[in-house]
Amino acid sequence: MGERQILLIDLELCIGCQTCTIACKSEHGFDKGSGIRVETIETVNTGKKVTGFSEFSMYFQPVTCMQCEQPACLDACTEEAITKRSDGIVLIDAENCTGCEACVSSCPYDALFYDEYKNIVRKCSFCHERLDDGFEPFCALCCPEKAIYWGDNDDPESEVSKLIIKRNAHTLKSELNTGPAVFYIPQKNCS
Amino acid sequence: MKFARSVRIEPGARAVRTVCPFGCGIICGIIAHEKDGKVVKVEPGDYKDTSHICVRGLSSPRLAYHPDRLKYPMKRKGQRGEGKWERISWDEAMDMAASRLKGIGEKYGTPSLAFVSAGVGGLTNYSTVGFAGACQGTFIMPAGFGDSAGPCADTVCYGAPLWFGEDYTNRFDNPGLCVLWGNNASVTEPFKWRRIRKAKENGARVVVIDPRFTTTASRADQYISIRPGTDVALALGMMNVILEKRLHDRAFLSDHTSAPLLVRNDTGQYLREKDVIPEGSDKHMVWDTIENQPVVHDARGTTPALSGDFKVKEIGCRPAFELLTGLIQQYTPEKVSKITEIPEDVIINLATDYGTIKPSASYRGMGGTRGNLHGDVNFRAINTLAALTGNISFEGHYTFELNPLGFFELGMPQFVTLLQMYEAILNDEPFAIRSLWLMRHNMINQDPDFNRMTKDILPKLEFIAVTDLFMTTTAQYADLVLPACTFFETTDIGAPIGNGSHEYIQLQQKVIEPMYESRPDIEIYTMLAEKMGFDAFLDKSAEDCIEMLLDSDHPTMEGVTLDNLKKGPVAPGTCEMPVFNTPSGRLEFYTENLKAFGQELPGYIEPVESQRTPQAEKYPLLFSTTHSKFRLHSMYANVDWIRELDPEPVLKINPVDAASRNIKDGDSVRVFNDRGEVVIKAKLHNKVRAGLVNTSQGWSPDHFISGTHQALSHATINPAQAAVFEPNAAFSDTLVEVERVEEG
Repeated sequence: MGERQILLIDLELCIGCQTCTIACKSEHGFDKGSGIRVETIETVNTGKKVTGFSEFSMYFQPVTCMQCEQPACLDACTEEAITKRSDGIVLIDAENCTGCEACVSSCPYDALFYDEYKNIVRKCSFCHERLDDGFEPFCALCCPEKAIYWGDNDDPESEVSKLIIKRNAHTLKSELNTGPAVFYIPQKNCS
Repeated sequence: MKFARSVRIEPGARAVRTVCPFGCGIICGIIAHEKDGKVVKVEPGDYKDTSHICVRGLSSPRLAYHPDRLKYPMKRKGQRGEGKWERISWDEAMDMAASRLKGIGEKYGTPSLAFVSAGVGGLTNYSTVGFAGACQGTFIMPAGFGDSAGPCADTVCYGAPLWFGEDYTNRFDNPGLCVLWGNNASVTEPFKWRRIRKAKENGARVVVIDPRFTTTASRADQYISIRPGTDVALALGMMNVILEKRLHDRAFLSDHTSAPLLVRNDTGQYLREKDVIPEGSDKHMVWDTIENQPVVHDARGTTPALSGDFKVKEIGCRPAFELLTGLIQQYTPEKVSKITEIPEDVIINLATDYGTIKPSASYRGMGGTRGNLHGDVNFRAINTLAALTGNISFEGHYTFELNPLGFFELGMPQFVTLLQMYEAILNDEPFAIRSLWLMRHNMINQDPDFNRMTKDILPKLEFIAVTDLFMTTTAQYADLVLPACTFFETTDIGAPIGNGSHEYIQLQQKVIEPMYESRPDIEIYTMLAEKMGFDAFLDKSAEDCIEMLLDSDHPTMEGVTLDNLKKGPVAPGTCEMPVFNTPSGRLEFYTENLKAFGQELPGYIEPVESQRTPQAEKYPLLFSTTHSKFRLHSMYANVDWIRELDPEPVLKINPVDAASRNIKDGDSVRVFNDRGEVVIKAKLHNKVRAGLVNTSQGWSPDHFISGTHQALSHATINPAQAAVFEPNAAFSDTLVEVERVEEG
């Protein structure tokens, strides 16, 4: 049995504070850009009683590198700078990256960004060095709502595997069959 | 150092448990990583049951290593605000300060020397008050910077310890209903939000009342849009429904509130025993319905009347509840719907839930205190609603008492409130103030009425000294600027303030040496005291000062020692609740001291600059300035990581109001009233009510296209607030007009 590192983000808990975005910058020294961004999703409100407004609401959705099973970036890279670990984490080798940004435009999740200071492309790596030392990803440690879970989705007994089933978690753009390793627990407030 | 959880530390680095005090009353424990004398990273602190960090805390190394930090003392060359400075030594700076303070003190009297502190950092605050005392000068009270409506209300209702009054209405273990009044807790009060979220997970309904559809509203079960500044009317309307449906808690009213206390018809004051019998005490009286006679309110075995009109020795009296009922009856759901613009059925349902679900918790935010000039009445009405339904927490709350006496060894200062300081400078009332010493307080940027401040007030000041991290809006107008340390560079104590925080007292432990020529605040005062010729002032280490503060002998402080704090956060003991430290010992919804202002009961008062006042013809939009997660007031506005997420100030305007003014998203707009103007980019936003425009406070003039948002606000003094506590700056009780600025 292999190992499949995933993140599971609880959209019910996310308050869009962007602490994860700054945490990522801090942990990886991204002077500009971050491996995780938070999108505000505007919704039409059907379930909740709202007074004095048209029927809309919003929720927040952190987006990071999905560590796809079929990473488009890996295929797009001509320098063989992008590799996939046995646990599924996709890494960019700074030594080989030329900053050509071919991978940036290939990503359906817009999860990679160009680092103008270092002339390389950067992205989230699930904080693999922390994971290897037995620590949580830094965004998960810093998330004030404890909305980011991490773990092995190949282990049916892991907390994330159980939560994915129990909370009916989904992935983004599943129709693309990229096999994302970031799962989302849907929020029910503004459905 | 040992932590309560494992911490990943890079080779060659060191991790220090300290705090980020830049959450105002919320002081978050952090772990700072230091390598080669430099702070390289910050992560959430280790607590046994909680933790928090935010975009600001994580960015604080960018603040500390910001290239624009003030690096050495400077004195002004040329005119104030001209931007010409001369570098001087600390010795010269202290000589200059001492000579100016002494000269002005001799000329106008020492109370003319005023001192202001930012309110962040225990030692910073106490040393500023103490030094003002040593000078026989004046300390400017801090609550009127926007926060004092809460203490104004809670002082009269509960006799509550400062900042902890809100505990009475929401410190429940398991509330079934959470009502948030103008409180965007998920953004501004993380630890409070955590309690609300926990209640929600346990099945509580969360209702948000706000003129903006906030982040917190998006996470709630119900959102109620209210006309700004009309919360009192809503609370009264809810009370009307509750009385109509007989959902009020008669026993609670009778036992714990001023409901049965007799109020004299002639004076509006509570009837006292001494009014009835010549040798009587100051005790309040009630009407005993069994013996049909007046008795002292704490007599045993009585059944006091809550209604009726009684004659005691020819003095006509009625129970306070009768007077409250009279007020409530005027506020039918129909009338309240017209005032608040909330549908009647929404008011009735909310009131029914609040009166039925036990316990129901009320949370309140800055919307209520800054939102209108009568913010104290907002909170008195919310407190009264809670009292009417017995939704008052009996559970112990955390409080603590520090011992600041050591800071006052050389004397106590005069105290003047912020808005009254304007009068002292302009009109010498109650006495002249001619010198301002600003310790990390960006007064010109953050206090109301920018143009009055810069054009009328500053010229009357003969000396302005600013200690801060940066050349702030205020520092630009100073005569002397001194470089301050960040929290990484000094030791201090972090004591949480108020309902929005956690309960822990924590140590701010120095991580790195002071940078450049910056000095810890207490050392600046020690140096200056020597130059002033005072006996030694705080001539001891920060740790010694902290030990002095902790030594209060208060029962809740047992175990809160410096040694224990070095090991980690320590929660003080809990106090019994409710303990109402009011004159009657009861929760007083009727305040006899406010009779002279017609505010003895929390009746609805239209905001001074509402859309239903005459000036709305000229200025039809309400302008509100709210708190952003990206800044603590004006701090962090210059930090690159933060600006990447929040690049510039915007005016959020409802598409309806934008359309009628031909304003498109991204247009430059002029926001103006008789006091001033700001030019800013418009952002069409369907989450602010039509009629309301909004921006987040704390941006500085150089961030706007021109002008500043603080030029729109006013420093009107509410005399009723001044009579009970401190008058509050009502930043969002402000009308404006907005127009598109033609490009080029």
